Amino acid sequence: MTSEQVLADVRAILIEIMGAEYALSLDIGMETAFEADLELESIEFVKLSTMLAEHYDDRIDFVGFLADKNLNEIIDMTVGDVVTYIARCLDGTHAVTVDA
Amino acid sequence: MSRFLFVVPPFAGHILPTLAVGQQLIDRGHTIAWTGHPATLGPLLPPGAHVIPIAAEFSGQRLAEIRSRSLGLRGTAAFRFLWAEVLIPLAQSMVPAVTAVVDDFRPDVLVVDQQAPAGALVARQRGLPWATSATTSAELTDQFTTMPKVGAWARQCLFDFQRDFAVAEPVDLRFSDHLVLVFSTIALLGPSCEFPGHYAFVGPSIGERAGVPGFPWNWLDPHRAHVLVSLGTLNQEAGRRFFTTVLAAIAPLADQLQAIIVAPPHLIDSLPDHVLVREFVPQLDLLPHLHAVVCHAGHNTVCETLSHGVPLVVAPIRDDQPVIANQVTTAGAGIRVHFSRVSAGELRTALTTVLANPSYRSAARRIQTSFTAAGGAAAAADHLEKLL
Repeated sequence: MTSEQVLADVRAILIEIMGAEYALSLDIGMETAFEADLELESIEFVKLSTMLAEHYDDRIDFVGFLADKNLNEIIDMTVGDVVTYIARCLDGTHAVTVDA
Repeated sequence: MSRFLFVVPPFAGHILPTLAVGQQLIDRGHTIAWTGHPATLGPLLPPGAHVIPIAAEFSGQRLAEIRSRSLGLRGTAAFRFLWAEVLIPLAQSMVPAVTAVVDDFRPDVLVVDQQAPAGALVARQRGLPWATSATTSAELTDQFTTMPKVGAWARQCLFDFQRDFAVAEPVDLRFSDHLVLVFSTIALLGPSCEFPGHYAFVGPSIGERAGVPGFPWNWLDPHRAHVLVSLGTLNQEAGRRFFTTVLAAIAPLADQLQAIIVAPPHLIDSLPDHVLVREFVPQLDLLPHLHAVVCHAGHNTVCETLSHGVPLVVAPIRDDQPVIANQVTTAGAGIRVHFSRVSAGELRTALTTVLANPSYRSAARRIQTSFTAAGGAAAAADHLEKLL
Protein backbone atom coordinates (compact mmCIF):
# COMPACT_ATOMS: atom_id res chain seq x y z
CA MET A 1 0.00 0.00 0.00
CA THR A 2 1.39 3.40 -0.93
CA SER A 3 1.74 6.39 1.35
CA GLU A 4 -0.97 8.15 -0.67
CA GLN A 5 -3.44 5.38 0.09
CA VAL A 6 -2.53 5.36 3.79
CA LEU A 7 -2.86 9.14 3.90
CA ALA A 8 -6.35 8.84 2.39
CA ASP A 9 -7.28 6.28 5.10
CA VAL A 10 -5.87 8.38 7.95
CA ARG A 11 -7.56 11.49 6.58
CA ALA A 12 -10.92 9.69 6.45
CA ILE A 13 -10.53 8.51 10.05
CA LEU A 14 -9.58 12.01 11.23
CA ILE A 15 -12.61 13.49 9.45
CA GLU A 16 -14.82 10.98 11.22
CA ILE A 17 -13.27 11.85 14.60
CA MET A 18 -13.38 15.62 14.15
CA GLY A 19 -16.73 15.77 12.41
CA ALA A 20 -17.11 16.32 8.67
CA GLU A 21 -18.59 19.80 9.05
CA TYR A 22 -15.32 21.09 10.49
CA ALA A 23 -12.72 18.70 9.11
CA LEU A 24 -13.72 19.01 5.46
CA SER A 25 -12.80 22.69 5.63
CA LEU A 26 -9.21 21.66 6.42
CA ASP A 27 -6.55 20.50 4.00
CA ILE A 28 -5.12 17.54 5.88
CA GLY A 29 -1.75 16.59 4.41
CA MET A 30 1.54 14.99 5.44
CA GLU A 31 2.74 18.23 7.09
CA THR A 32 -0.42 18.75 9.17
CA ALA A 33 0.41 18.73 12.89
CA PHE A 34 -2.04 16.88 15.12
CA GLU A 35 -1.84 19.38 17.92
CA ALA A 36 -1.04 22.78 16.41
CA ASP A 37 -3.18 22.38 13.27
CA LEU A 38 -5.96 19.96 14.21
CA GLU A 39 -6.07 20.59 17.98
CA LEU A 40 -6.55 16.86 18.43
CA GLU A 41 -7.34 16.23 22.09
CA SER A 42 -6.05 13.41 24.26
CA ILE A 43 -9.45 11.68 24.15
CA GLU A 44 -9.36 11.91 20.33
CA PHE A 45 -5.94 10.26 20.25
CA VAL A 46 -7.57 7.36 22.06
CA LYS A 47 -10.26 7.26 19.36
CA LEU A 48 -7.65 7.51 16.60
CA SER A 49 -5.79 4.61 18.17
CA THR A 50 -8.92 2.44 18.29
CA MET A 51 -9.99 3.29 14.75
CA LEU A 52 -6.53 2.66 13.27
CA ALA A 53 -6.41 -0.70 15.07
CA GLU A 54 -9.80 -1.62 13.62
CA HIS A 55 -8.87 -0.47 10.15
CA TYR A 56 -5.48 -2.21 9.90
CA ASP A 57 -6.21 -5.15 12.21
CA ASP A 58 -3.03 -6.23 13.95
CA ARG A 59 -0.71 -5.17 11.17
CA ILE A 60 0.23 -1.99 13.04
CA ASP A 61 0.85 -1.20 16.71
CA PHE A 62 -0.22 2.42 17.01
CA VAL A 63 -0.51 2.15 20.81
CA GLY A 64 3.16 1.12 20.93
CA PHE A 65 4.08 3.84 18.42
CA LEU A 66 2.49 6.54 20.62
CA ALA A 67 3.81 5.08 23.87
CA ASP A 68 7.34 5.35 22.49
CA LYS A 69 7.06 9.06 21.68
CA ASN A 70 8.53 11.56 24.10
CA LEU A 71 6.89 14.88 24.91
CA ASN A 72 8.60 16.94 22.20
CA GLU A 73 7.94 14.31 19.54
CA ILE A 74 4.26 14.29 20.43
CA ILE A 75 3.99 18.07 20.32
CA ASP A 76 5.54 18.12 16.84
CA MET A 77 3.88 14.95 15.50
CA THR A 78 2.45 15.28 12.00
CA VAL A 79 0.00 13.21 9.98
CA GLY A 80 3.04 12.31 7.85
CA ASP A 81 4.82 10.71 10.84
CA VAL A 82 1.86 8.39 11.38
CA VAL A 83 1.35 7.68 7.67
CA THR A 84 5.04 6.81 7.24
CA TYR A 85 4.92 4.48 10.25
CA ILE A 86 1.78 2.72 8.98
CA ALA A 87 3.14 2.40 5.44
CA ARG A 88 6.34 0.79 6.76
CA CYS A 89 4.37 -1.65 8.91
CA LEU A 90 2.25 -2.64 5.94
CA ASP A 91 5.34 -3.13 3.76
CA GLY A 92 6.77 -5.42 6.40
CA THR A 93 9.94 -3.34 6.59
CA HIS A 94 9.15 -2.17 10.11
CA ALA A 95 8.78 -4.40 13.11
CA VAL A 96 5.15 -4.38 14.17
CA THR A 97 6.11 -4.00 17.81
CA VAL A 98 8.00 -0.80 18.45
CA ASP A 99 11.17 -1.31 20.43
CA ALA A 100 11.39 0.86 23.51
CA MET B 1 -3.22 25.43 69.67
CA SER B 2 -1.23 24.79 66.53
CA ARG B 3 0.18 26.60 63.54
CA PHE B 4 -0.68 25.82 59.92
CA LEU B 5 1.01 27.35 56.88
CA PHE B 6 -0.66 27.27 53.44
CA VAL B 7 1.83 27.44 50.58
CA VAL B 8 0.04 28.50 47.40
CA PRO B 9 0.94 29.37 43.79
CA PRO B 10 -0.17 32.70 42.31
CA PHE B 11 -3.30 31.19 40.72
CA ALA B 12 -6.74 32.12 42.05
CA GLY B 13 -8.26 28.71 41.39
CA HIS B 14 -5.66 27.11 43.64
CA ILE B 15 -6.05 29.68 46.42
CA LEU B 16 -9.85 29.95 46.70
CA PRO B 17 -10.50 26.41 48.05
CA THR B 18 -7.98 27.00 50.86
CA LEU B 19 -9.86 30.02 52.22
CA ALA B 20 -12.73 28.09 53.82
CA VAL B 21 -10.31 25.46 55.17
CA GLY B 22 -8.18 28.18 56.75
CA GLN B 23 -11.28 29.78 58.28
CA GLN B 24 -12.30 26.42 59.79
CA LEU B 25 -8.89 26.09 61.43
CA ILE B 26 -9.03 29.68 62.69
CA ASP B 27 -12.50 29.01 64.18
CA ARG B 28 -10.98 26.04 66.02
CA GLY B 29 -8.38 28.31 67.61
CA HIS B 30 -5.37 27.55 65.40
CA THR B 31 -2.97 30.10 64.00
CA ILE B 32 -2.99 30.23 60.19
CA ALA B 33 -0.92 31.97 57.56
CA TRP B 34 -0.84 31.89 53.78
CA THR B 35 2.45 32.39 51.98
CA GLY B 36 2.53 33.28 48.33
CA HIS B 37 2.64 36.12 45.86
CA PRO B 38 1.02 39.26 47.25
CA ALA B 39 -0.37 40.49 43.91
CA THR B 40 -2.60 37.40 43.65
CA LEU B 41 -3.14 36.60 47.33
CA GLY B 42 -4.01 40.10 48.48
CA PRO B 43 -7.33 40.57 46.66
CA LEU B 44 -8.53 37.01 47.39
CA LEU B 45 -7.93 36.67 51.11
CA PRO B 46 -10.43 38.15 53.56
CA PRO B 47 -9.40 41.24 55.51
CA GLY B 48 -7.38 40.30 58.55
CA ALA B 49 -6.01 37.10 57.02
CA HIS B 50 -2.36 36.56 57.83
CA VAL B 51 -0.45 36.80 54.56
CA ILE B 52 3.31 36.31 54.45
CA PRO B 53 4.34 37.75 51.09
CA ILE B 54 7.29 36.20 49.33
CA ALA B 55 9.66 37.99 47.00
CA ALA B 56 7.68 38.79 43.91
CA GLU B 57 9.89 37.22 41.24
CA PHE B 58 6.60 36.25 39.68
CA SER B 59 5.24 39.76 39.62
CA GLY B 60 1.83 40.74 38.33
CA GLN B 61 3.45 41.68 35.03
CA ARG B 62 5.29 38.36 34.66
CA LEU B 63 2.08 36.49 35.48
CA ALA B 64 0.19 38.49 32.86
CA GLU B 65 2.86 37.57 30.29
CA ILE B 66 2.57 33.88 31.23
CA ARG B 67 -1.20 34.04 30.86
CA SER B 68 -1.06 35.67 27.46
CA ARG B 69 1.55 33.19 26.18
CA SER B 70 -0.49 30.24 27.42
CA LEU B 71 -3.70 31.37 25.71
CA GLY B 72 -2.79 29.90 22.33
CA LEU B 73 -1.44 26.63 23.72
CA ARG B 74 -3.33 23.33 23.87
CA GLY B 75 -2.70 19.75 24.89
CA THR B 76 0.88 18.60 25.34
CA ALA B 77 2.33 21.97 24.24
CA ALA B 78 0.39 23.64 27.08
CA PHE B 79 1.58 20.88 29.41
CA ARG B 80 5.25 21.46 28.50
CA PHE B 81 4.82 25.22 28.92
CA LEU B 82 3.12 24.84 32.32
CA TRP B 83 5.88 22.66 33.75
CA ALA B 84 9.04 23.92 32.05
CA GLU B 85 8.23 27.63 31.98
CA VAL B 86 5.85 28.18 34.87
CA LEU B 87 5.77 25.59 37.66
CA ILE B 88 9.46 24.67 37.87
CA PRO B 89 10.84 28.25 37.66
CA LEU B 90 8.13 29.26 40.14
CA ALA B 91 9.17 26.47 42.50
CA GLN B 92 12.86 27.36 42.17
CA SER B 93 12.15 30.99 42.96
CA MET B 94 9.95 30.07 45.95
CA VAL B 95 12.33 27.72 47.79
CA PRO B 96 14.54 30.33 49.54
CA ALA B 97 11.52 32.50 50.42
CA VAL B 98 9.41 29.63 51.75
CA THR B 99 12.39 28.37 53.78
CA ALA B 100 12.69 31.77 55.43
CA VAL B 101 8.93 31.89 56.08
CA VAL B 102 8.94 28.42 57.66
CA ASP B 103 11.92 29.23 59.89
CA ASP B 104 10.22 32.42 61.04
CA PHE B 105 6.55 31.35 61.32
CA ARG B 106 7.43 27.89 62.67
CA PRO B 107 4.36 25.99 61.45
CA ASP B 108 3.44 22.59 62.88
CA VAL B 109 1.93 21.53 59.55
CA LEU B 110 2.30 22.79 55.97
CA VAL B 111 -0.57 22.60 53.49
CA VAL B 112 1.06 22.62 50.07
CA ASP B 113 -0.71 23.14 46.77
CA GLN B 114 0.24 20.67 44.02
CA GLN B 115 1.44 23.61 41.93
CA ALA B 116 3.67 24.98 44.71
CA PRO B 117 6.09 22.05 45.18
CA ALA B 118 8.60 24.40 46.83
CA GLY B 119 6.50 24.06 49.99
CA ALA B 120 6.77 20.28 49.89
CA LEU B 121 10.53 20.44 49.37
CA VAL B 122 10.98 22.77 52.36
CA ALA B 123 8.67 20.67 54.58
CA ARG B 124 10.73 17.57 53.82
CA GLN B 125 14.00 19.41 54.43
CA ARG B 126 12.72 20.65 57.81
CA GLY B 127 11.17 17.29 58.73
CA LEU B 128 7.69 18.81 59.12
CA PRO B 129 4.41 17.00 58.38
CA TRP B 130 2.78 18.34 55.23
CA ALA B 131 -0.45 17.81 53.39
CA THR B 132 -1.02 18.06 49.65
CA SER B 133 -3.79 20.42 48.61
CA ALA B 134 -5.20 19.02 45.35
CA THR B 135 -7.47 21.87 44.31
CA THR B 136 -8.06 20.09 41.01
CA SER B 137 -8.34 16.32 40.86
CA ALA B 138 -6.74 16.09 37.42
CA GLU B 139 -3.26 15.19 38.72
CA LEU B 140 -4.73 12.07 40.35
CA THR B 141 -5.43 10.42 37.03
CA ASP B 142 -3.21 10.25 33.98
CA GLN B 143 -3.95 13.13 31.63
CA PHE B 144 -2.31 11.65 28.54
CA THR B 145 -3.24 7.99 28.82
CA THR B 146 -1.91 6.99 25.41
CA MET B 147 1.39 8.83 25.95
CA PRO B 148 3.13 7.50 29.08
CA LYS B 149 6.36 9.41 28.38
CA VAL B 150 4.56 12.73 28.84
CA GLY B 151 3.66 12.08 32.50
CA ALA B 152 7.12 10.59 33.07
CA TRP B 153 8.70 13.82 31.78
CA ALA B 154 6.81 15.92 34.36
CA ARG B 155 7.90 13.60 37.18
CA GLN B 156 11.49 13.93 35.95
CA CYS B 157 11.16 17.75 36.03
CA LEU B 158 10.17 17.49 39.70
CA PHE B 159 13.09 15.16 40.44
CA ASP B 160 15.59 17.45 38.71
CA PHE B 161 14.20 20.41 40.66
CA GLN B 162 14.86 18.58 43.94
CA ARG B 163 18.38 17.54 42.88
CA ASP B 164 19.17 21.23 42.24
CA PHE B 165 18.47 21.78 45.94
CA ALA B 166 20.58 18.77 46.98
CA VAL B 167 17.63 16.57 47.95
CA ALA B 168 19.06 13.07 48.28
CA GLU B 169 15.84 11.13 47.85
CA PRO B 170 13.54 12.99 45.47
CA VAL B 171 9.85 12.08 45.48
CA ASP B 172 6.80 13.14 43.51
CA LEU B 173 6.12 16.35 45.42
CA ARG B 174 2.52 16.48 44.15
CA PHE B 175 1.56 13.70 46.55
CA SER B 176 2.29 13.84 50.27
CA ASP B 177 2.82 10.55 52.13
CA HIS B 178 0.98 12.08 55.12
CA LEU B 179 -2.25 13.41 53.63
CA VAL B 180 -3.59 14.29 50.18
CA LEU B 181 -6.62 16.57 50.43
CA VAL B 182 -8.70 16.25 47.27
CA PHE B 183 -11.42 18.86 46.80
CA SER B 184 -13.61 16.44 44.87
CA THR B 185 -15.22 13.03 45.37
CA ILE B 186 -14.86 9.54 43.94
CA ALA B 187 -18.39 9.94 42.55
CA LEU B 188 -16.97 12.55 40.17
CA LEU B 189 -13.50 11.05 39.63
CA GLY B 190 -15.03 7.73 38.66
CA PRO B 191 -15.64 4.64 40.81
CA SER B 192 -12.88 2.71 39.02
CA CYS B 193 -10.24 4.96 40.58
CA GLU B 194 -8.54 3.53 43.66
CA PHE B 195 -6.35 5.49 46.03
CA PRO B 196 -4.35 4.85 49.22
CA GLY B 197 -5.94 5.50 52.62
CA HIS B 198 -4.21 8.84 53.18
CA TYR B 199 -6.10 10.36 50.23
CA ALA B 200 -9.05 12.31 51.70
CA PHE B 201 -11.84 13.18 49.26
CA VAL B 202 -13.46 16.11 51.06
CA GLY B 203 -15.46 17.55 48.16
CA PRO B 204 -15.38 21.18 47.10
CA SER B 205 -14.45 23.84 49.62
CA ILE B 206 -16.59 26.81 48.69
CA GLY B 207 -16.42 29.79 50.98
CA GLU B 208 -18.02 33.19 51.04
CA ARG B 209 -17.14 35.24 47.98
CA ALA B 210 -17.10 39.01 47.64
CA GLY B 211 -20.47 40.17 46.31
CA VAL B 212 -21.02 41.45 42.77
CA PRO B 213 -23.50 44.28 43.11
CA GLY B 214 -25.84 45.43 40.39
CA PHE B 215 -26.93 42.11 38.91
CA PRO B 216 -30.38 42.58 37.30
CA TRP B 217 -32.22 39.78 39.07
CA ASN B 218 -35.58 40.99 37.69
CA TRP B 219 -34.34 40.21 34.17
CA LEU B 220 -34.63 36.47 34.89
CA ASP B 221 -37.94 35.19 33.47
CA PRO B 222 -39.32 32.38 35.68
CA HIS B 223 -40.96 30.76 32.65
CA ARG B 224 -37.70 30.17 30.77
CA ALA B 225 -34.62 28.06 31.51
CA HIS B 226 -31.50 29.94 32.62
CA VAL B 227 -28.09 29.09 31.24
CA LEU B 228 -24.75 30.50 32.40
CA VAL B 229 -21.90 30.60 29.86
CA SER B 230 -18.47 31.06 31.44
CA LEU B 231 -14.91 30.38 30.30
CA GLY B 232 -13.44 31.28 33.66
CA THR B 233 -11.40 34.36 34.36
CA LEU B 234 -8.44 33.60 32.08
CA ASN B 235 -9.94 32.60 28.76
CA GLN B 236 -12.41 35.34 27.98
CA GLU B 237 -10.41 36.97 25.17
CA ALA B 238 -9.60 33.58 23.63
CA GLY B 239 -13.30 32.81 23.63
CA ARG B 240 -14.44 35.16 20.87
CA ARG B 241 -15.20 32.35 18.41
CA PHE B 242 -16.82 30.26 21.12
CA PHE B 243 -19.06 33.09 22.32
CA THR B 244 -20.12 33.77 18.71
CA THR B 245 -20.99 30.08 18.35
CA VAL B 246 -22.98 30.20 21.60
CA LEU B 247 -24.99 33.18 20.32
CA ALA B 248 -25.77 31.37 17.05
CA ALA B 249 -26.65 28.18 18.96
CA ILE B 250 -29.17 29.89 21.22
CA ALA B 251 -30.56 32.36 18.64
CA PRO B 252 -33.63 30.18 17.86
CA LEU B 253 -34.21 29.34 21.54
CA ALA B 254 -35.37 32.77 22.75
CA ASP B 255 -38.79 31.44 23.81
CA GLN B 256 -37.18 28.62 25.85
CA LEU B 257 -34.17 30.07 27.60
CA GLN B 258 -32.21 33.07 28.78
CA ALA B 259 -28.42 33.03 28.73
CA ILE B 260 -25.98 34.95 30.91
CA ILE B 261 -22.57 35.16 29.27
CA VAL B 262 -19.57 36.00 31.45
CA ALA B 263 -17.37 38.06 29.15
CA PRO B 264 -16.14 41.59 28.54
CA PRO B 265 -19.01 43.22 26.60
CA HIS B 266 -16.73 44.20 23.68
CA LEU B 267 -16.36 40.51 22.76
CA ILE B 268 -20.04 40.20 21.94
CA ASP B 269 -21.11 41.86 18.73
CA SER B 270 -24.88 41.94 18.87
CA LEU B 271 -27.02 41.18 21.83
CA PRO B 272 -30.51 39.68 21.52
CA ASP B 273 -33.06 40.25 24.30
CA HIS B 274 -32.67 36.80 25.81
CA VAL B 275 -28.92 37.21 26.38
CA LEU B 276 -27.17 39.17 29.11
CA VAL B 277 -23.44 39.86 29.05
CA ARG B 278 -21.58 40.73 32.24
CA GLU B 279 -17.85 40.82 32.88
CA PHE B 280 -18.47 39.66 36.47
CA VAL B 281 -21.46 37.77 37.84
CA PRO B 282 -22.37 36.63 41.35
CA GLN B 283 -21.88 33.01 40.27
CA LEU B 284 -22.67 31.37 43.62
CA ASP B 285 -25.86 33.42 44.01
CA LEU B 286 -26.88 32.67 40.42
CA LEU B 287 -26.41 28.90 40.57
CA PRO B 288 -29.69 28.14 42.40
CA HIS B 289 -31.52 29.83 39.49
CA LEU B 290 -29.70 27.96 36.71
CA HIS B 291 -30.78 24.97 34.62
CA ALA B 292 -27.46 24.40 32.83
CA VAL B 293 -23.92 25.77 32.73
CA VAL B 294 -21.78 25.94 29.58
CA CYS B 295 -18.13 26.23 30.59
CA HIS B 296 -14.46 25.37 29.96
CA ALA B 297 -14.49 22.58 32.59
CA GLY B 298 -12.35 24.51 35.05
CA HIS B 299 -12.38 22.49 38.27
CA ASN B 300 -13.87 25.20 40.47
CA THR B 301 -16.66 26.16 38.04
CA VAL B 302 -17.55 22.49 37.49
CA CYS B 303 -17.61 21.72 41.23
CA GLU B 304 -19.65 24.82 42.08
CA THR B 305 -22.13 23.88 39.34
CA LEU B 306 -22.43 20.26 40.47
CA SER B 307 -22.76 21.42 44.11
CA HIS B 308 -26.10 22.80 42.98
CA GLY B 309 -27.03 19.68 40.99
CA VAL B 310 -26.92 21.61 37.71
CA PRO B 311 -25.85 19.76 34.51
CA LEU B 312 -23.14 21.03 32.17
CA VAL B 313 -21.96 21.42 28.61
CA VAL B 314 -18.16 21.35 28.81
CA ALA B 315 -15.70 22.70 26.24
CA PRO B 316 -12.25 22.12 27.75
CA ILE B 317 -9.41 24.32 26.52
CA ARG B 318 -6.17 23.22 28.22
CA ASP B 319 -4.41 22.01 31.37
CA ASP B 320 -6.64 19.99 33.70
CA GLN B 321 -9.82 20.87 31.84
CA PRO B 322 -9.94 17.88 29.45
CA VAL B 323 -9.60 15.52 32.44
CA ILE B 324 -12.37 17.27 34.38
CA ALA B 325 -14.57 17.33 31.26
CA ASN B 326 -14.13 13.57 30.99
CA GLN B 327 -15.14 13.15 34.62
CA VAL B 328 -18.33 15.13 33.96
CA THR B 329 -19.32 13.09 30.89
CA THR B 330 -18.38 9.74 32.47
CA ALA B 331 -20.54 10.62 35.49
CA GLY B 332 -23.39 11.41 33.08
CA ALA B 333 -23.69 14.99 34.33
CA GLY B 334 -22.96 16.72 31.04
CA ILE B 335 -21.99 16.66 27.38
CA ARG B 336 -18.54 17.51 26.03
CA VAL B 337 -17.93 19.58 22.90
CA HIS B 338 -14.68 20.67 21.24
CA PHE B 339 -13.81 24.24 22.23
CA SER B 340 -12.33 25.25 18.87
CA ARG B 341 -14.37 23.13 16.49
CA VAL B 342 -17.90 22.98 17.88
CA SER B 343 -20.57 24.24 15.50
CA ALA B 344 -23.69 26.18 16.48
CA GLY B 345 -25.84 23.17 15.64
CA GLU B 346 -23.79 20.78 17.80
CA LEU B 347 -23.77 23.20 20.68
CA ARG B 348 -27.54 23.73 20.41
CA THR B 349 -28.12 19.97 20.44
CA ALA B 350 -25.82 19.53 23.45
CA LEU B 351 -27.52 22.32 25.38
CA THR B 352 -31.11 21.33 24.60
CA THR B 353 -30.23 17.72 25.46
CA VAL B 354 -28.87 18.49 28.95
CA LEU B 355 -31.88 20.75 29.54
CA ALA B 356 -34.51 18.29 28.31
CA ASN B 357 -33.13 14.89 29.31
CA PRO B 358 -33.57 14.48 33.08
CA SER B 359 -30.74 11.94 33.32
CA TYR B 360 -28.15 14.75 33.22
CA ARG B 361 -29.75 16.59 36.12
CA SER B 362 -30.11 13.40 38.16
CA ALA B 363 -26.45 12.56 37.58
CA ALA B 364 -25.52 16.10 38.64
CA ARG B 365 -27.63 15.61 41.77
CA ARG B 366 -25.84 12.33 42.54
CA ILE B 367 -22.54 14.27 42.51
CA GLN B 368 -24.16 17.01 44.60
CA THR B 369 -25.14 14.41 47.22
CA SER B 370 -21.60 13.02 47.27
CA PHE B 371 -20.21 16.54 47.75
CA THR B 372 -22.51 17.21 50.70
CA ALA B 373 -21.59 13.89 52.31
CA ALA B 374 -17.85 14.54 51.84
CA GLY B 375 -17.87 17.37 54.36
CA GLY B 376 -15.94 20.09 52.49
CA ALA B 377 -13.75 22.52 54.42
CA ALA B 378 -14.73 21.12 57.85
CA ALA B 379 -13.68 17.61 56.82
CA ALA B 380 -10.43 19.01 55.42
CA ALA B 381 -9.75 20.71 58.76
CA ASP B 382 -10.49 17.44 60.62
CA HIS B 383 -7.90 15.61 58.50
CA LEU B 384 -5.33 18.38 58.97
CA GLU B 385 -5.74 18.31 62.75
CA LYS B 386 -4.96 14.59 62.71
CA LEU B 387 -1.48 15.42 61.37
CA LEU B 388 -0.61 17.20 64.64
